[in-house]
Amino acid sequence: MIKHDIVVVGGGLAGMRAAVEAAEGGADVAVVSKMHPVRSHSGAAQGGINAALGNREDDSTENHAFDCVKGSDYLGDQDAIEAMAEDAPRQIVWLEHRGCIFSRMPDGRIAQRPFGGAGSARTCYSADVTGLVILHTLWEQLERFGVKVYEEYFATALCVEDGMGAGVVAYNMRSGELELVSAKATIFATGGLGRVYAKTTNSYASTADGMAIAYRAGIPLMDMEFVQFHPTSLKENGVLLSEAARGEGAYLLNKDGERFMFKYAPNKGELASRDVVSRAEWTEILEGRGVDGCVFLDLRHLGREKILERLPQIRELALDATGKDAIDTPIPILPGMHYAMGGIETDKFGATRIPGVYAAGECACVSVHGANRLGGNSLLETIVFGARSARHAIAYIKGLGDVRVSERTLKSEQDRIDGILARSGGERHPAVRKRMNNVLSDNVFIFRDDAGLKKAVEGLREVREAAKSMTVMDKSKTFNTDLTGFLETEFLIDIAQCIAAGALARTESRGAQARTDFPERDDEKWLVHSLFHNTGADPRLDFTRKVTFTKWQPTVRTY
Amino acid sequence: MAAHGENVLMAKFTLDLFRYDEKVDDVPHRDRVEIDFPETSTVLDALEYAKAEVDGTISFRRSCRSAICGSCSMNINGVTGLACKTPINTVMRDDRSVKVDPMPNFEVMKDMVVHMDPFWDKYSRLKPYLQPADRDEDHERERRVSPEDMKKLVAVANCVMCATCYALCPVISVDPSFAGPAAIAYAYRFIEDVRDSKRKERVGQISDDYLWLCAHCYACSYCPKHVEPQDDIIALKRISIEEGFTGAGPRHALVVSKTIRQSGMLNENEVIVGTVGKFNFKGLLKIMPLGLRMAAKGKVPPLFLKPVENVNEIRMIYDALEVPVG
Repeated sequence: MIKHDIVVVGGGLAGMRAAVEAAEGGADVAVVSKMHPVRSHSGAAQGGINAALGNREDDSTENHAFDCVKGSDYLGDQDAIEAMAEDAPRQIVWLEHRGCIFSRMPDGRIAQRPFGGAGSARTCYSADVTGLVILHTLWEQLERFGVKVYEEYFATALCVEDGMGAGVVAYNMRSGELELVSAKATIFATGGLGRVYAKTTNSYASTADGMAIAYRAGIPLMDMEFVQFHPTSLKENGVLLSEAARGEGAYLLNKDGERFMFKYAPNKGELASRDVVSRAEWTEILEGRGVDGCVFLDLRHLGREKILERLPQIRELALDATGKDAIDTPIPILPGMHYAMGGIETDKFGATRIPGVYAAGECACVSVHGANRLGGNSLLETIVFGARSARHAIAYIKGLGDVRVSERTLKSEQDRIDGILARSGGERHPAVRKRMNNVLSDNVFIFRDDAGLKKAVEGLREVREAAKSMTVMDKSKTFNTDLTGFLETEFLIDIAQCIAAGALARTESRGAQARTDFPERDDEKWLVHSLFHNTGADPRLDFTRKVTFTKWQPTVRTY
Repeated sequence: MAAHGENVLMAKFTLDLFRYDEKVDDVPHRDRVEIDFPETSTVLDALEYAKAEVDGTISFRRSCRSAICGSCSMNINGVTGLACKTPINTVMRDDRSVKVDPMPNFEVMKDMVVHMDPFWDKYSRLKPYLQPADRDEDHERERRVSPEDMKKLVAVANCVMCATCYALCPVISVDPSFAGPAAIAYAYRFIEDVRDSKRKERVGQISDDYLWLCAHCYACSYCPKHVEPQDDIIALKRISIEEGFTGAGPRHALVVSKTIRQSGMLNENEVIVGTVGKFNFKGLLKIMPLGLRMAAKGKVPPLFLKPVENVNEIRMIYDALEVPVG
């Protein structure tokens, strides 16, 4: 059996930031991750990380917080948002001191660029590989502190003993054995859920593992209907082209070469918030002003030098996928599933309803993003709340005796896995996953309505039924990615049901939730979070958690 | 995957796959998996499709499919690279097959999945984290670093640790203790970081330890992320000489340089003695049997080399470039 004071599940930015904070605080901490930390999808984040450093323009943490509140369409919890904005400059300095390779201004300070929905240029960056350089900096710190990483351990379940979190059960992908990872505090940092959709900017690994594990253990998920569609993804493979392109001045054009965004966002144009830009693009396409289901991202006027210096990765990604060079050709793009605003319900310290269980980063819902996240805030959230959850966990385990170690969950998980491997004859799991993907992509996309969402809820019931008899082909004990893929599909089905149910229940349009049958925001009824409780079938919803306000009352939101 | 539009041309072809499970198989075998799939897609897309639709036991690592996570490096038709960055139609063989193997220079766990630990260990022994002279408390704000100083690190910052260069490196294949290009480039990242305080120690460690085993074959210049580790290795060798390190590696480089300046040719006798060390009698004794074997076969180079005709021109080049000599 493996035993540590704190175990972090997930080795991306939030997980490693939590682990480093815990290690610096003297705790016995380990990371459990289904992949080597530097493989994490945080590394794919391109554009930057927000902090009101004020290096390029006057700025304040209050301005940053207000932009988040407005971006969230007033669904974000303002106390948590203020905490994030206030901590941001300190966290950027923390990263810089540990060697993070930020792009610089001529005077040596960290460079900043404008991003969507922001009142000033506050996005710190490293060309268009910001996630990668921060990921490496944090991995270096794990090496520095000698933090134990259980690499290629796939977490399957949370252990709860006497009502307290007691670690996880994880499948060692190299040995093919399940192991009990006992801990006084468990921090989930497993990232996003993108693979629930047929097309996504997310990696194959973004399968909502932590969300589903917490949900099954009785922790509610929150605001799951709020799924962000990024305005600029490639049609060919769904891969992301960073908002940094528009931040640096790129245009969005329709088939007539018109910069259409000013029709939808007269002040901000291409740099309106993502929900606004994606809806505008989709409207252009639906109304026949697209080409082959796409509009265009035009970088040409930025010039070769600026593109190669600041946006080299996205130029190469577009070149690889489309054969088109952004230096002299507009790139066809369309909105693509990108980010989950929802996740495991936490308070502003990252704590869940089960003592000793925390969540941070994309798998968590604090909520700092509300109904729509601003670009540059996802990396920030991982760093701020990764550190906060670890600090809180350290305080929690102080004075706590040993948690009960029981093999109960290990045994039930062993039975479950044995049962899966023993099944035969049924449909293979990739086929079931594909149906789930299509149900969601067809019915819970940018614009939603009652009929489509009912179809989704019904379709997902059938998928859940089919999943009961689906099978794996690989029965081996060596790096069995057929089995882990199966477990991921099961996780995703839980999550898909929450997304569809939430979108159906919320009869208003707010941020990323756009109902054509309820086109207005309804502040009388819907300034509440959606909570999803596991029942083993359809989720049970409740709307008892009200949005926290500090100083900003909802007003009309325009860009 | 790339198959979305209605106009995508499907093509029949065969994936010729290396198959092996370390827990079960004594020897590897090959499987031929026929698929109907757009050949403008990537090799990773094809593998993913084959796993989902044909054979769920096919095993490989992958995640981001956009060349940033570094998971899917494998050997495709004999060349190692990222499967997500390799279009099928660029590697299709005449018999309409694509041959896929695990990365060389690694032990295989299963199919294309290899044991990566030796690769990560090479990083760990570098102390791969910033070691500044100052403390956090000394700064309220970020340290000032000029854009020029930061730009020196940009190429290495793009490294995704995919191990393609490590798999391509012939030195690793004969001496697994060699760090390999990726780790040396990572050392360079700290050595050239103006914020780091351990430049000398780092140069010393890498110089003594592994830097000089590099044979300059430039195999690692085939880097999917344009990191160009071969440039970092050459830069580090130069830095190592400038910093006054005198191990066998720097001695070898300097004596080669010296003999060429003298005669326009490599004086192998002098190079051997210069590399081992003139007064290193033990070392010289050790290579004596080799010398005797060479003598028996008539392969000992002449003791005195007559300089080539235009040796003065070579010396002018040396002077113009300020080439160091031993």
